[in-house]
Amino acid sequence: MTSTAVLATPARFPRLLLPATPPADPLEIEAAVAAGAFAALRLAVEKLKADGVINALTESGMRGRGGGGHPIGEKWRACARAGVPAGAAAGGVAAASAPTRYVVVNAYGADPAVMTDRVLLESNPYAVIEGAAIAAFAVGAREVIVALRAEAADAIRAVEAAIAAAESAGYLGENILDSGTEIRFSVRPLQGSYMLGEETVLLKGLEGKRGQPEQQPPYTTSRGLFGAPTLIHGPQTFAAVPTILSGGIAGFAETDARTFAGTILVQISGAVARPGIAEVPFGVTLREVLDVAGGVPGPRRLKAVLVGGPSGGILPADALGVGFDHDSLEKAGAHVGSGSIVVLDQHSCVVDLAAVLTRFCADEACGKTIPCRIGLRRLAEIGARICEGQPRGDEIACLTDLSVDIVGSALCDHERRATLALLSVVRYFRDELDAHLLRNTCPAGICQPKADARAGVVS
Amino acid sequence: MREPTLRPSPSSPPSATPTRSGKSGKQGKAADWAPVEAASTAISTNATAPATSALTIHARDAADTLRRLRPAENQKGAWNKHAGRTDSRPDSKTPFDTIEPFDNSLAERLITAQAPQRPLATPTFRIEVDGRIVEGTEGQTILEVCRANGIEIPTLCYEPKLPGFGACRMCVVEVEGEEHPPISCSREAEAGMVVRTQTEQLRRLRRTNLELIFSDHNAYCLPPCQNKCPSHIDIPGFLRANAEGHFRESARIFKRTIPFPSILGRVCPAPCEDHCRRDEVDEAIAIRDSHRYAGDQILKSQKDGIEPPLPFETQPKTGKRVAVIGSGPAGMSAAYYLLLSGHDVTVFERDPEPGGMLRYGIPEYRLPKADVLEPEYEAVWKLGARLECNKALGRDFTLDDLHAQGFDSTIVATGCYDTNKLNIANENADGVIDGLEYLRIATLGLPYPGHKKSRVVVIGGGFTAMDCWRTSIRQGASQVTLVYRRDMKDMPAASEVHEALEEGGTAIFQAGPTRVLVDENNKVTGVEFIRMQPGAPDASGRRRPEPAAGTEFVVECDRVLLAIGQGPDLSWIGPGNEGVAAARYRLSADAVTFETGRPGVFGAGDVRIGAATVVQAIAEGRRCAYAVDAFLRGNDLSELRNGQTLAEVEPTFLSIVPFTDEPKEARHRLKAMPAKERSRSYIEYEIPYTAAEVMAESTRCLQCTCEALGNCDLRRLGIEYGTTLQTLEPGHDSGAGFRSVTENRFTGANHDYIRDDSHAFILREPSRCIDCGRCANVCAEVVGAACYDFMRTGFDTLVTTPLDMSLNDTPCVSCGRCAETCPTGALMPKPRVLEKYDVDESRCILCGICVDACPYDALRGGQDNELAHDDRADPQIDLIGLAAVDRETEVTYIRRERDWMAHALAEGRIDRSVEALPALPAALAGERGGRGGAKSE
Repeated sequence: MTSTAVLATPARFPRLLLPATPPADPLEIEAAVAAGAFAALRLAVEKLKADGVINALTESGMRGRGGGGHPIGEKWRACARAGVPAGAAAGGVAAASAPTRYVVVNAYGADPAVMTDRVLLESNPYAVIEGAAIAAFAVGAREVIVALRAEAADAIRAVEAAIAAAESAGYLGENILDSGTEIRFSVRPLQGSYMLGEETVLLKGLEGKRGQPEQQPPYTTSRGLFGAPTLIHGPQTFAAVPTILSGGIAGFAETDARTFAGTILVQISGAVARPGIAEVPFGVTLREVLDVAGGVPGPRRLKAVLVGGPSGGILPADALGVGFDHDSLEKAGAHVGSGSIVVLDQHSCVVDLAAVLTRFCADEACGKTIPCRIGLRRLAEIGARICEGQPRGDEIACLTDLSVDIVGSALCDHERRATLALLSVVRYFRDELDAHLLRNTCPAGICQPKADARAGVVS
Repeated sequence: MREPTLRPSPSSPPSATPTRSGKSGKQGKAADWAPVEAASTAISTNATAPATSALTIHARDAADTLRRLRPAENQKGAWNKHAGRTDSRPDSKTPFDTIEPFDNSLAERLITAQAPQRPLATPTFRIEVDGRIVEGTEGQTILEVCRANGIEIPTLCYEPKLPGFGACRMCVVEVEGEEHPPISCSREAEAGMVVRTQTEQLRRLRRTNLELIFSDHNAYCLPPCQNKCPSHIDIPGFLRANAEGHFRESARIFKRTIPFPSILGRVCPAPCEDHCRRDEVDEAIAIRDSHRYAGDQILKSQKDGIEPPLPFETQPKTGKRVAVIGSGPAGMSAAYYLLLSGHDVTVFERDPEPGGMLRYGIPEYRLPKADVLEPEYEAVWKLGARLECNKALGRDFTLDDLHAQGFDSTIVATGCYDTNKLNIANENADGVIDGLEYLRIATLGLPYPGHKKSRVVVIGGGFTAMDCWRTSIRQGASQVTLVYRRDMKDMPAASEVHEALEEGGTAIFQAGPTRVLVDENNKVTGVEFIRMQPGAPDASGRRRPEPAAGTEFVVECDRVLLAIGQGPDLSWIGPGNEGVAAARYRLSADAVTFETGRPGVFGAGDVRIGAATVVQAIAEGRRCAYAVDAFLRGNDLSELRNGQTLAEVEPTFLSIVPFTDEPKEARHRLKAMPAKERSRSYIEYEIPYTAAEVMAESTRCLQCTCEALGNCDLRRLGIEYGTTLQTLEPGHDSGAGFRSVTENRFTGANHDYIRDDSHAFILREPSRCIDCGRCANVCAEVVGAACYDFMRTGFDTLVTTPLDMSLNDTPCVSCGRCAETCPTGALMPKPRVLEKYDVDESRCILCGICVDACPYDALRGGQDNELAHDDRADPQIDLIGLAAVDRETEVTYIRRERDWMAHALAEGRIDRSVEALPALPAALAGERGGRGGAKSE
């Protein structure tokens, strides 16, 4: 069972998304406004205007929380400019003649074991709404769609209530803050599979079509929902926007982030003393994150961490010095993904885990492209054969070659990331692999490799 | 001519659409000059001036013409009123330019949202592709630019009518400065792009993709029979022609790969029949006997002066001369295909008559010389081959002589005539005879001296041994014993053993000779053998026989015939014949290009591969002819490797479909003369089929070929990227290497789906589906029916109908576009034959779809094609016939129930009659049994 407890963090970790002292009722709009909600929206509408907001974001260096971690300033500018003829840009990026645009809050939360987005929406809904409203104002969208997983009933209720309250208070709706700008919010609960977390798949879901990703580019910022320019972010990204604007750029940059600005919510689970959700600045080391969760209690010993959810990478205990941010994790063979960190002790077999994860990703694939539909399944089969001690030729070379080719011709990040689990095992846990392949033993005692199938082992 | 443009101007929103429905589309033809004006403005802002004026004038003229043609029409006004707008000024947007949603509902947006339309005239730009500078039009994808410029990028899921989909990942290209290679079908080309389409990495990505597809492609291209035939004859093709009674066509199909259907119909070991899938239903098809009949029909008509059919049109004369040394099967098939290719051929033969092993190695009773061999060879002579008999290589001429005589090329096809030695004591005794030497005399029709009444031992188990054995019986030997060191099931010619035993021969298996016993005159008195037991398997997979000590025994005899295999005579290699070499007792020549070490000299047949079957020799000859043809035309022979692959290849894997509907029907066997008669005679002992028999036998063929063969993009790409072949380097005697398509480094679980032929026009074979989504996209986006979509997730995803229902239950309009777009054989138009039909003449366009499609048989073929009528007095449904069908079914049911009861009573499963069982009608009560499936033994 996934813990939704919000863990206490050291004082040097700023709390930008989840307030350190949560209000009694997060939906109480007066209290929220008193605490500073919608100040940034007012600032954006009355002072900064669209260009100013985008410039401020660009200067802050803020990057998206999920996926590739792209700088959001560029993304917003691309969306604001989409469909506007090059010569017309002089009159302001969000010119009145511009086409329909959408802002989509991707709160689908595909990873079933991660509750961070739901907790954020339940405990701080106004930050997400405000950020999305600022985004809509900046790119010239009149419609914001909050897409949630249908079974996240509490989050849906919270967001709907918060939107209703904000509308009646005049922060959203036909005429926000008496500026003459219209920004309407709607909540769309979606029921679907794992793949709906991918942004183009989510848009297909909103259009009522089969959830299959689209080739990017063209990016969603130029051809998104119903073919219109669409800005799509996760709720954490939107929630961070008001902080940047109201707290000033300097304030945001002052956070403890070592690589780039901002904080992120992580879901820590597995062999730790206190599983739960923590808000950590980008760039803190994995060890610091584990310390927040109380570390690994004895007599269990830390063996590895799975970072990034089902399509994440498995990092060994001595890689805990890796910073928790997009670039460092990418280099180490994992990714931020859903913000999930699963801690494994000595009783877990990383080979088995990687094979199971790959099989999960293969089964959840939408089936559109060949490398994903067949390739991931073949990867999972290789993993299963290694676990069973029945390798066929040089499995590790085949696994590596296939992974490289899947990444090379992938359509979406799902198939790219799904190769990480087995690749990271090859990279960090070669001994354990060899124990399965050559000695027909599983050090953790999970797999039962058969001893009679040693013929044909090359490596 | 294309319509004058209705394109949206750049200032109008991209949601603009020229037509809202078919109705307004018609109105578009009456469009006035306003949209043209918009177009010309657009052009003049973007294109160069001279081109602009020309285009503008052209467009304006066209619009003027249209206006003059329909001056009174102004449906536009009506539409405007409906849309709540007033008629527009000339300089404003016309209603055809923009359609705004009536309200802001989702449905309305879905209707009005439209894919961007490409304007008719757009600015061009240049990009660099593989080092070439090519021009593209704004809005074109990289793929479109490349295809427009003749640069081929492989695709499987790309459908030109629709925007790129991006499922197959075959069209990946490298764009300079980008980390991940984008796919060219979805990526717009931009000015100045540097694109590479064929780098090593891209080809590797594509190859991996193809391997992945093949690893789950549980289907086949060629049927196994065709695959296993060394010459890859189109077996389903000629069998179908046979079944329809077109024997000449059947022989013609056969001659595409083998010129001699009658000869092969008698001497071929028929490896095809071992792999016939009909075996899964009842019994394999008699493939060999079927083409024998077709070939014999040609020979018969040849007697009446009718020319034998040619498989291809003869090519114009090239003036090149080829010398073929040896007139056996390899040499003659090479000569045949070279002659068809337009070259001049002279055949040199060592013996007084042409035929090689066919004439001097195969006895008359198996292959009649005057009735079959000579007339069938006639087909080659008729094409203009010259024959020089009594000319042996090395004895009468050398390769240098041939070169001096002006031959551009030489094919050495001298066969294998040196019998192997036993290497045992007294092997040179008087009475030990070379089996081939013996057959040579015997096949000349001469009695071998001293054979009558003698006791003969034949050592060996191949075709030569068999022929020696059976010929000795025919020559009146008193006792003929065949001794073979392995078991009978290991014999290459096992099928003939029973016939020989019937004729009076005896056989000893699993015994090998140790020495020949002689008397004081060095004359054979017997052979000592030792029992052999099977040991470890050897390279051919057969268990190597090993002698069992202390089991020696003696067979007394007067004669020993040695038939333990042959090798080629290569003693001619030397002065005058320099450049060619021998390797492993054979002539050294390439397996694909057939080149020997000497330029222009090729080697084919047994001399290259060692003693093999006739069909292998003929396959060698044909493939060699193509190599020589390429050589004579100055083509690169290394290219041939690829070409050979394209021509010969065969990805095969069988999806074992349950043939539950296929009626069981035993194989029609050739009858033979009684053993007593045939053991004294050289007359061909097998009695050929009648026409009815051969048609019935050929009808049993299941036609396993993939219907999409030749139109399949997957097969084409698989061959191009080498993912269907284990190796290009063929085995020494088996042509190009073969393997199942699903066998590659990724082989794993695969899907086996059931064929759906419930629809009248479209045949679905999901096992061949590669999930490219083309059918789903075309059906939804172009046709609008949306019968297919991706179903299920992950590895089990399949593009199919909802719930895998029959197409009949979907909104299918039978337009056939899905079958048209399918890159493989997963969706195919069903072959249909329509002859005549009744129609309503006032409306009918005589398409005939109604007759085939009507599920209630309310339409039927009429007497008159042109004058259709509708006559209600004459019911179209044969009600009486239908009633009879029902009754038959009912009766069958009653019988089955009663039979069950009888059995159950007899076996004591029930103890008394079940009274509720239906009773048979009195008229049928006496009748029992009926036509059960005649089971063959």
